[in-house]
Amino acid sequence: MLRIRTITTTAAILIGIAGAIATVPDSIAPLRPVNSFYSIGIGKASMLDSYLSQLTYHGLDLRIGYERQQAMRFNPESWTQHLDLGLEYSKTDNPARNRSAHTLMVSARWGIAHRWRLPVEGLTLSVGPATSFDGGARYNRYNSNNPVSAQIRWSIDAIGQAVYNTRIGRLPITLRYRMAMPIIGCFFAPEYDESYYEIYLGNRRNIAHFASWGNRFDMVNEVSADLHFGNTVMRLGYRNVIANYDVSNLRSRHYINLFTIGLGGDWLSAGKGRRPDAAAPIISALY
Amino acid sequence: MKALRHISLIVVTLLIMALASCSNDDQYSSDPEANFEALWTVIDEHYCFFEARGIDWNEVGDRYRKLVKPEMTAKELFDVCAQMVCELRDGHTNLSSSFDVAYYRYWDAYPHNFDLRTVQENYLAFNYRQASGMTYGILPSNYGYIYYGDFMNAIGEGNLDWVLAELATTDGLIIDVRDNGGGLLTNVETLVRRFITERLYCGSITHKTGPGHNDMAKPYDYYFEPAAEGRQRYLKPIAILTNRSSYSATNNFVSIMKQLPQVRIVGDRTGGGCGLPFTNELPNGWRIRFSSCIITDAAGQLTEFGIDPSEGCKVDITEADVAAGRDPILERAQEVLSLMLTQ
Repeated sequence: MLRIRTITTTAAILIGIAGAIATVPDSIAPLRPVNSFYSIGIGKASMLDSYLSQLTYHGLDLRIGYERQQAMRFNPESWTQHLDLGLEYSKTDNPARNRSAHTLMVSARWGIAHRWRLPVEGLTLSVGPATSFDGGARYNRYNSNNPVSAQIRWSIDAIGQAVYNTRIGRLPITLRYRMAMPIIGCFFAPEYDESYYEIYLGNRRNIAHFASWGNRFDMVNEVSADLHFGNTVMRLGYRNVIANYDVSNLRSRHYINLFTIGLGGDWLSAGKGRRPDAAAPIISALY
Repeated sequence: MKALRHISLIVVTLLIMALASCSNDDQYSSDPEANFEALWTVIDEHYCFFEARGIDWNEVGDRYRKLVKPEMTAKELFDVCAQMVCELRDGHTNLSSSFDVAYYRYWDAYPHNFDLRTVQENYLAFNYRQASGMTYGILPSNYGYIYYGDFMNAIGEGNLDWVLAELATTDGLIIDVRDNGGGLLTNVETLVRRFITERLYCGSITHKTGPGHNDMAKPYDYYFEPAAEGRQRYLKPIAILTNRSSYSATNNFVSIMKQLPQVRIVGDRTGGGCGLPFTNELPNGWRIRFSSCIITDAAGQLTEFGIDPSEGCKVDITEADVAAGRDPILERAQEVLSLMLTQ
């Protein structure tokens, strides 16, 4: 008897849900423009890598970056996805300026973030998880068996951004603060005076390290202003990078401060041969 | 106009942030005491042979620290630092400045035992070829001869094929590494692989793991594989010619080859240098190179102080030999090869 009642109740609930769904009118899928930017950056780098030298090197840093954000399909108002790619080169000199180190790095970060529209008009806050990879090397050609310090890192990060859309006079402007901070991950580092020749011979002991704030701290901070000139947006920004680790009695301190300038904007693709539905709402990841 | 002013303000603010926020705390110092301490500390924390060489580095530091005065010139400081570095009696430890390079001249007390011109003229009659840093030819006794004077010269696999194919019909091979001060260890591997037919245990390598004098990693055993199928090999008797200037990577090559049954070492003891040097620097821009990794041979022995010739193969070249244009080491090598062939 109890079983019959249970089946009846379940059927009633399912019929109710089906009825409710059937009564919802077909909604128009929102358009989710891709917000993409290409940027270049120039600034200063400060680098201490005790595998290469006991001294801190200072010099020029250059970066080419690509950034992409888009509202996500499943809940575009509240969730956005973020992609960052970068190619960075720095040439730094020792304090006596008679030796140079060259650093070349590629970086990639992908993540999603939940977006909240705050009570202040035009202000949003996004926070979420991400994963990132950095790979590259520092090179000091004057060193004998320690000329290179490979930099390989993968991590799970926290990302966040605060965006404020406003106007200066008649010019729409978007002010933004953005940060990314690895929480845990892993990275490569040889032992204190271990040569890469020994690693080449096959000794892989203690070269892959679990990364946590106990041995590694990385952070990227950016502030930027997007100036909207019609459909094209110019982005002016400041980027600060901190990449520090202490492992196997090795010490690495890398600070970068860049002025960046970029071009981009929101781009909409409706698919080949299709036109976007004029009635569809547009949900930008940023604006 | 107002908007333009605001944009300018943003640009200026961002530029100031980018250029000013990176503190440029310049560590440059020409202060003699600061540089002396930096040098002493680098060696104290990274050098790997204190125990093997029986050196009390604290005592050495105390002795030389007294000689450092604030008013001394760069050259005076360099001389004091160079003398301190030479206390290590290690050819891999050099101090370099813009006006001098200081190093321990370990070979000074020994006969030179080599003259390439004598070999080329009196034994090869200038009938030789050169490839990949190797000078090679066939001696009248039908022994092949290869002079390899610098392990910095990359050895191409294709070049080696040509060289060994040319010498394939000889009865034995002489590899002359006298005055070869070392270079890249990867070249050692490339060369050794042509003389083995199965995986070879070469020894072990270890390195410093921290600033303490005894902070050393567990030694890692390393092996060389034979050259790939199809590559030219040479498996007949081999004599390797050495002198005190056969150093570093050359010392490593000799230590590995010496364990092969078809190989004899002829000449003088090698110069040693089984440490792998790293480089660091001082605040005034001087460079310091020092041993920080240790490579031992297949018997677990430290070859830092050199490798003796095979039994009965110790030969020196006298001034009379030089005057007569003779190379007794090369001649002894041919005798040894002949003896090996008759056994």
